[in-house]
Amino acid sequence: MNATKPSWFSHSALALGFAFLYLPMLILIIYSFNESRLVTVWSGFSLKWYGELFRDQQMIDAAKVSLQIAFMTACASVVLGTMAAMVMTRFRQFPGKAMFSALMTAPLVMPEVITGLSILLLFVAMGQTFGLFQERGVTTIWIAHVTFCVAFVTVVISSRMSELDRSLEEAAMDLGANRVKVFFLITLPIIAPALASGWLLAFTLSLDDLVISSFVSGPSSTTLPMKVFSSVRMGVSPKINALATLMIAIVSIAAFLGWWLMAREEKQRQRDMQLALQQGG
Amino acid sequence: MAATASSVAAANGVAKSDAPIREDYVRIDDLTKEYDGFRAVDDVSLSIRKGEIFALLGASGCGKSTLLRCLAGFEKPTYGKIELDGVSIVEQAAYDRPINMMFQSYALFPHMTVEQNIGFGLKMAGLARDRVAARVEEMLTLVQMNRFAKRKPHQLSGGQQQRVALARSLALSPKLLLLDEPMGALDKKLRSQMQLELVGIIERLGVTCVMVTHDQEEAMTMATRIAIMDAGKIRQVGTPDEIYEQPASRFVAQFIGSVNLLEGTIEDDEKDHVTIRSDVLEQPIHVGHGVTGFEGQAVAYALRPEKIKIEKDEPAQPHNKVRGLIEDIAYFGTHSVYHVRLQTGKKLLVHFMNAKRWASERFTWNDTVWLSWGDNAGVVLTS
Ligand SMILES: Nc1ncnc2c1ncn2[C@@H]1O[C@H](COP(=O)(O)OP(=O)(O)O)[C@@H](O)[C@H]1O
Ligand SMILES: [Mg+2]
Repeated sequence: MNATKPSWFSHSALALGFAFLYLPMLILIIYSFNESRLVTVWSGFSLKWYGELFRDQQMIDAAKVSLQIAFMTACASVVLGTMAAMVMTRFRQFPGKAMFSALMTAPLVMPEVITGLSILLLFVAMGQTFGLFQERGVTTIWIAHVTFCVAFVTVVISSRMSELDRSLEEAAMDLGANRVKVFFLITLPIIAPALASGWLLAFTLSLDDLVISSFVSGPSSTTLPMKVFSSVRMGVSPKINALATLMIAIVSIAAFLGWWLMAREEKQRQRDMQLALQQGG
Repeated sequence: MAATASSVAAANGVAKSDAPIREDYVRIDDLTKEYDGFRAVDDVSLSIRKGEIFALLGASGCGKSTLLRCLAGFEKPTYGKIELDGVSIVEQAAYDRPINMMFQSYALFPHMTVEQNIGFGLKMAGLARDRVAARVEEMLTLVQMNRFAKRKPHQLSGGQQQRVALARSLALSPKLLLLDEPMGALDKKLRSQMQLELVGIIERLGVTCVMVTHDQEEAMTMATRIAIMDAGKIRQVGTPDEIYEQPASRFVAQFIGSVNLLEGTIEDDEKDHVTIRSDVLEQPIHVGHGVTGFEGQAVAYALRPEKIKIEKDEPAQPHNKVRGLIEDIAYFGTHSVYHVRLQTGKKLLVHFMNAKRWASERFTWNDTVWLSWGDNAGVVLTS
């Protein structure tokens, strides 16, 4: 392997990798514009499946439920994740700190089936003893999603927070800001990009979740992945291709936007620094 | 280097000594800070005068930053007292102390402009908007940064960032200003310029200042008094020339500048002179003043390289002279350092000012030379 001189081998490895990752999506996108009802036979270009998709009220409702849950999950996870990250990176050593950090991130490697099942059991138990959560629906899915998303968000935020220069917070305190003011005026604005990416991560994780939702949903709360999954089991409709294409488009645009904003800021920064250096002390 | 630094400091000392002095504006008593049983600061007691620039000088890891952070309130001392202007501050939180610090990394808030950075403390103090603006303007003028008021910190060079950091820490008119390695983040060329500028500003405002540095040249140039720290303890406190010319121990003598240490014992202890017998010299050393010691006591005679005279022919004086062979020469432009080996095998460092461009009396390798020094050229060290 020679990193400096790409050979035919590394070129073809790259091509193979990309094909493996993106060929299925490409096929899916192409067939979403297919005229035919048959998913695997091309019979001409058409947008009719997109039209059908928007006329499918059940699908629209499921999308609304999913977006609502994803939004609430992302907000709650960022709040809880920030608090957990504060404890992990800013508090002095306390007994059980290492255990707290390990437990905080354990859901990252926990199989979803187990997470879903255990949360369901909790809800059932609470329903029997306190009369809570007997109606399962949007609220229970939200709580379950927060439970597993908060681990991811905590990792994102605490890694940003641990690389934040402590003397910034000390300087603010030195200038008369108490701990609350330091957090809201200094720490929070500086780690805002990490909060945003944590929010987006939780949002997509929640939007995409099927397993945990299936455990804790009720009759009135079908999320989009659940709807897609159940309709595919009845037979694949090109409508689903259209839906998937739309989702790919949205995710790609969001990712591209994030990348572009960051690249622009970085470029601006570089230019400013060059300028400052040229002007000298 | 040490010689030039001390002469600058001596000049400063004369200029600074006329104001009425309060001996213990800042009082530190038996201050100790332990980390898991390890004493980073070990039983330190200090008095700092009003209006002086006091430097804590020591090698990396000796505990000087920890001491500074105890003053700022970021670390709670394990025990000990700190008084500022007669008020005990140990129990006060960092945000309640009338003390401000300039951080080594400057710690400018990256999401705020220069103006907002300088105004932050004023805003926290609850000042009205127009009064904040007026004070910020005043501070910008003080550090000559008015042109850059709307810039963000990353749009500034290192020297400019330092001015902003200084302005920010002075905006609240603190009773005590703390500087942590103030020149640490600057390149060498900028340093000497900023050192003098910083001292100028601090003296103009008359603010009392404690600085931390590991750079002796920096401490000598900037400080009125210096405390030498080692392993959490204060080894000596004094003006730069006191520290250089009258070190109290072998450690301090070796820490500041370069020195020849001649180990020996007191042979003859008279009222007006003392002789010290040393194994490395044939003749005893003649010291032209009494010392607090006893005959037979083991001492070291500390002799700075620039106090030794080097010449071809035997000097006329009866004692304090020795013959040697030039083994090595280091040319520094302003002066040359000769490494001279004595007959006993001991090597002495000798500075020679290059006062003439093409000195005919300059020496070369393997020249046999005579070294000599005055009766009061060195210091007798008992510890
Ligand atoms: N938070 C801390 N926990 C444990 N040890 C520390 C801490 N801060 C400093 N120390 C130790 O205290 C000693 C002095 O540190 P410091 O005051 O930073 O030294 P200096 O500023 O003189 O280089 C060092 O040995 C350092 O390892
Ligand atoms: Mg330090």
